Amino acid sequence: MNSRLIKYIILEIIAIIIAIFWLIPLYSMLINGFKTNFEATATPVLFPPKVFTISSYITVWGEMKRPLINSIIIAIPVAFISTIFGEMAAYFFYVTSERMPAVSNTGFSIISLATFIPYQATLLPLIELEASWGLFNSYQGLIFALLIFYMPTAALLMSIFIPVIPKYLIEAARIDKASDWTVFWKVVFPLTIPGFLATMIFVFIESWNNFFMPLVLTSSPSLRLIPVAERAFTGGYGTLYNDSYAAAVIASIVPLVVFIILGRYFIKGLAALGGGAKGV
Amino acid sequence: MVKVKVKDLTKIFKKGKNIVVANDKISLEVDDGATFGILGESGGGKTTLLRQIAGLEIPTDGYIYFDEKVVSAPNKIIVEPENRNISLVFQNWALYPNMTIYDNIAFPLKNIKMPKSEIDKRVTEISETLNIKQVLKHYPREVSGGQMQRAALARALVKNPKLLLLDEPFSNLDAQIRDSARALVRKIQKELSLTTIIVSHDPADIFSIAEDAGVIVRGKFVQIGNVSELYNNPISETVSKLLGDINTVEGEVKEKAIVIGNLAIPFDKKIDLTEVKVGIRPEDMRISQAEIIKNYVNIGKVKVKVSSYSAGIFKLIVSPISDESIEFSVNSETHIRSGIEAFLFIRPEKMKLFDSNGNRIM
Repeated sequence: MNSRLIKYIILEIIAIIIAIFWLIPLYSMLINGFKTNFEATATPVLFPPKVFTISSYITVWGEMKRPLINSIIIAIPVAFISTIFGEMAAYFFYVTSERMPAVSNTGFSIISLATFIPYQATLLPLIELEASWGLFNSYQGLIFALLIFYMPTAALLMSIFIPVIPKYLIEAARIDKASDWTVFWKVVFPLTIPGFLATMIFVFIESWNNFFMPLVLTSSPSLRLIPVAERAFTGGYGTLYNDSYAAAVIASIVPLVVFIILGRYFIKGLAALGGGAKGV
Repeated sequence: MVKVKVKDLTKIFKKGKNIVVANDKISLEVDDGATFGILGESGGGKTTLLRQIAGLEIPTDGYIYFDEKVVSAPNKIIVEPENRNISLVFQNWALYPNMTIYDNIAFPLKNIKMPKSEIDKRVTEISETLNIKQVLKHYPREVSGGQMQRAALARALVKNPKLLLLDEPFSNLDAQIRDSARALVRKIQKELSLTTIIVSHDPADIFSIAEDAGVIVRGKFVQIGNVSELYNNPISETVSKLLGDINTVEGEVKEKAIVIGNLAIPFDKKIDLTEVKVGIRPEDMRISQAEIIKNYVNIGKVKVKVSSYSAGIFKLIVSPISDESIEFSVNSETHIRSGIEAFLFIRPEKMKLFDSNGNRIM
């Protein structure tokens, strides 16, 4: 056998091992949800169920329905609004980078800071602010809080995608008497759709998975989001393992579906960075 | 239309510790309805000058006037590009890839909120003139280079600009269609008597479009004038080369002649130099087996090294028989085989002399 083939086989084997490693949690989550509670506790976590049952899904569904709807109500507007505003901010930084570098650099530093600061650090003032505005324990309050944290993230990500657009297109549009609004919506936005979708998917999954914010910013059970509801199954008096696994599956379905449907745009968005604006 | 006046325009780019003077105290005037060419090497500051006139770059110093109105001042854009009523055809045409050719052309009209029926009428009209009606529904990536160029031109003209700026608009075209594209631009420019400024490194663009031109070398205008005046009377070797093919070879000044190897060009004027550079364009030279050609002077025997053909003219590379390292490019009406020895003739009145720094002395 030639050495290239051996090298290829070794690399493939390593890739398969890593993939299996990554898939173990997903696999155990899927199979354990179909066990009875006794079996889930008594058998090793990687063993498939002897008796296949969907009873835990039926039990869990009643309690997960509301949080699922809540999470959709929260995560979709957060992802959409933060990506739109994030892209607008990124466009602003891009066009001002030459004429007003000070404005552009300062703004960019602020959004970077806002992205990388641990959000737990700002939580206390945020709760006080929301309480005084009457936003505490409400959908609007949650959306507002998540927007504060994910808008800079989206702006930062879009700042990577926007420079893919050649500056001369923006200049041509200005000479064609287009307002900033027109340049943004007719030229910049259509040409950055892959990047826009990639950013939106990222923010959607981030806000879907966010546990801490909905935990501290809501108090009534009717406003629970998916991650908080899921945690409730690992309760004070003991854990219902099969129910926890089933709840985890329900919690993961939406991000998984989003990624499966829109994932190629995510990849395309990232690929656009390497190859210029081609294929847009 | 508009009269453009540029006064002492300077543009300095600072990139870290690097300071680049792209334009150095440039002044020029383009009359209402006139065409002006800016010629120079790449990196010489031509495009920077054009972009400042368009309002896309802020001048470091100096002023730009449209008619008598100041549009750019030191460190300040007074009239933004969108309010200058100009059109710019970019080197790569800058068509919006997400719009059809129709939408590309209609874009400037939609931006001024023109009624739809009027937009339709104008786009149809201009696309008929420029012969791109059949590709209006296509996207830029689906049409040929020539069609993209005409679409860019259509987008530039459809809004009736006061000033048309062209940045190397033909350099991305195939050689065969370049001439027809040039002719089309010139025809439209004349019909509309549109003030036009064209930037190019190719003298053919300047000759076909512009009446007057300026030559930029390292950010400065070294010569401004009528195009044929620049061609026939360049002030330096650099200018002469930018305007077209020219042979420049070193010669020794002797009594009554300038000597290049075994060649001797009759010369009876008094100059102080012993070494000069002789500049002579290929069309002012002939090669023949005969010893006399009318209006030409026989300067000696040469050997044909290379014989080729382009655009209806036989091109020869010849060397004096005494020195193969000296080369002249000569035009010929007939094919002459390489290796043949013949007499070289020149038109002495067309000869230009430069000093060792390349400055014109005669």
